[in-house]
Amino acid sequence: MAFQTRRKYCFFKENNITAVDYKDVKLLKRFTNDNGKIMPRRVTGTSAKMHRKVVSAIKRARTIGLMPFVDSGSE
Amino acid sequence: MRYYELIYIVSSNVERKKNDQAMKEIGEKIQETGSKIINHIVWGKKKLAYPIKNNTYGTYILAHYQGGDNDKLREFDSWLKLSDLTIRHMIVKLDEKPDIVESLEGDKSENDTAEKGEDKSPDEESLKKEKNKDEENKEAE
Repeated sequence: MAFQTRRKYCFFKENNITAVDYKDVKLLKRFTNDNGKIMPRRVTGTSAKMHRKVVSAIKRARTIGLMPFVDSGSE
Repeated sequence: MRYYELIYIVSSNVERKKNDQAMKEIGEKIQETGSKIINHIVWGKKKLAYPIKNNTYGTYILAHYQGGDNDKLREFDSWLKLSDLTIRHMIVKLDEKPDIVESLEGDKSENDTAEKGEDKSPDEESLKKEKNKDEENKEAE
C-alpha cells in the first residue's frame, strides 16, 4: 500500500473558532496525548496563535481539576 | 471595566444546604468588594481529574462579575483561599463582557464523561465511524 501523508490543518481555522475556553474539556482533550501531555504544534498542525491559546487553556483546566497533569491510566 | 470569572469547587460530600450556604457567602463577599455579579450558577457535580484534598468528586460553581475595588478583590482572593468553603478556586480575567447564562446544562452533558455524557457519545461514535468510512473510501480510490 502506498504511503499516504495526512494533510495537516489548523483545527480552529477549519471550524472558525477564535476563542478557547478552559471549560471546554472535550475540545482541549484533542490536543493532549493519552498521558495528558500537550502535543506539539508539529503534530497537531495548529497555528501558532491558536496553539498559545490552547496551551494556556489546558493549563487553566489542569489547575481547576478538569484535566489531569499526568494521566497514568490507572485511575 | 474589567470582567472576571470565578470558578470554585465545593466538596461533593457536603449536603446541598452547605453548597447553597457557600454560594450565598461567596456572593456576599463579592458584593462587598463593590463588584456587580452577572452570573452565579452551579455547573454541576463532576469527577475531578485528580484528587484534590482527598476528594474525587466536586461540585463546580461558576460566577461572573464586574470588577470593583482592586485591593478588595485581592483580599477576596486570599479570603477564598483561606476559607474552608471551597476545595479549589480560580479567578480568570475575561476579555469581553460575559453573557447572562441561565444554566450550563448543555456544557454539562458535553463535559460530564461519567454518566450524563452517554446520551451524546453514541451519536459521535457513529459520526466518527462514518468519517473513517469516508477516509477508507478515499484511500481505496
